[in-house]
Amino acid sequence: MTKPYTGNDMVVATEIDKIYSNHCHALKKVTTTIKRGEVVVIIGPSGSGKSTFLRTLNQLETITDGSIMIDGVNMYDDSTNINKLRENVGMVFQSFNLFPHLTVKENVMLAPLKVSKLSKSEVDTAAKDLLKRVGLSEKVDVYPAHLSGGQQQRVAIARALAMKPDMMLFDEPTSALDPEMVGEVLDVMKSLAAEGMTMIVVTHEMGFANEVADRVLFMEDGSLLVDDIPENIFGEVANHPRLQKFLSNIL
Amino acid sequence: MKEQPHRLKWHLLFVITIFAMAAGIYSASQTINYNWQWHRVLPYIVDTSPVDIIARSDGSASLNNNSLTIVYDNGDPDRVISNADTILVSDGDIIFAGDLLARQESVRMGVLIHGLLTTLEISIISLVFSLIIGLISALMRISTNPFSKNLSLLYVEIIRGTPLLVQIFIVYFFLGTVFDLERFTAGVVALSVFTGAYVAEIIRSGIQSISPGQMEAARSLGMTYPKAMAYVILPQAFKRTLPPMASQLINLIKDSSLVSVISITDLTKAGREVVSGSFATFEVWFTVAALYLVLTSTLSWAIQRIEKRLASND
Repeated sequence: MTKPYTGNDMVVATEIDKIYSNHCHALKKVTTTIKRGEVVVIIGPSGSGKSTFLRTLNQLETITDGSIMIDGVNMYDDSTNINKLRENVGMVFQSFNLFPHLTVKENVMLAPLKVSKLSKSEVDTAAKDLLKRVGLSEKVDVYPAHLSGGQQQRVAIARALAMKPDMMLFDEPTSALDPEMVGEVLDVMKSLAAEGMTMIVVTHEMGFANEVADRVLFMEDGSLLVDDIPENIFGEVANHPRLQKFLSNIL
Repeated sequence: MKEQPHRLKWHLLFVITIFAMAAGIYSASQTINYNWQWHRVLPYIVDTSPVDIIARSDGSASLNNNSLTIVYDNGDPDRVISNADTILVSDGDIIFAGDLLARQESVRMGVLIHGLLTTLEISIISLVFSLIIGLISALMRISTNPFSKNLSLLYVEIIRGTPLLVQIFIVYFFLGTVFDLERFTAGVVALSVFTGAYVAEIIRSGIQSISPGQMEAARSLGMTYPKAMAYVILPQAFKRTLPPMASQLINLIKDSSLVSVISITDLTKAGREVVSGSFATFEVWFTVAALYLVLTSTLSWAIQRIEKRLASND
């Protein structure tokens, strides 16, 4: 079982390497530490390994070398129950991945019911509260197909929050959205950050990064090149030539 | 899409074509001087022949108010026949074993309907087993474990690569002898194992058609692989597999006609028996075909209903 951990480090990634079976070297000795309550934004060109890195943090991708500690637990210890660990790490995907055969409320309720084995009434109340929090109280009994992209992504956030995670991973949460819906999702994420949730966000929304992030990581070609506060990243004197090139390309 | 013009005309043409085909079949039978005798088939569907009541042993009869009482000489309890329609003995007659005492009118299922029920029974049992076998081997097939993957692959390849008729013979003569199986059991085993291989492929392709993101989302919530399968993947896959599953299950009903070769009196075997008894060859086979059609169209209607119900959420 997990030993009580009171340390301040939520994620300790040490020299993680990821080599796919097609010999693509996706992550090269990535080392970073993320503290409890920190909001970290990962930026970088596509194919830079930022999504892969994010997905190693709940073992949707396994790593080839190195080590990952989540909330004081070594992910690759034989005694680590990966499902228990995942309950504590919520994830939001670019393509929402809502369960189309379940209503909005059932989407949110499924994991607490089947994994945490909580009572139905308890889970039902919690789900309604969460959906209210993301502004979707009227859509409780609607199927995902009838929702806009922005609404679907907010349901996905509520679904991840339903397991009461200590950390949330966001994998390009607004990239599949129409521009006018990006704001509503970012607003939910901002309020989550304000509540003190530990968040790791892969995104191209530089405004969000600048405003909300405590730290910004810049990745390119599988390597973590820059790890700094947003003021230094987006300020006048970006001190890394490749980061400068990346930012000038997208801004 | 534009609506087809002259709809009524085309409907009319359809009806005329059907009548023309029926007339064609009829006139073709006329050229070989076939004498259609549909009434001969009826007794094999609804059997209205009276039931004979036969004396079990020697005794004597006494009759009062249409109630016949037989007192047996050997001390058996008296037999009272009160519901007979025709009584063929009179008061005070001496009865010998085997005598025809009375006749009773009755309406029973004919041989063809008995066959139909056997076909239905064997189909439903095989359907349940083939779904179970199919689901298990589909899950084995998509697993990353080489043992279960190869086992499932081998099963599907062997079953799909050999004729059902041969499989029925092998199950009946080989497995049936080794394990002392009833012929009905042998029929069910052969049909379930055969259909299971096809069901496995249908379920496998259904599972693989679900976006990998669904499994990732379920696992990221802390669900184990079996839970994610049961609550997220399979319900969606089930819906997608309904159309091919419907045709496979209809095939199962039709394939069940092959078990008649191991002397199970299903609809087809009953048809053969009736033909040799009635000589109404054409009528019987048309009737048998119609009865199969009743089964298959009921199943296809039921599956369409499920499909419509499930379609409501997208």
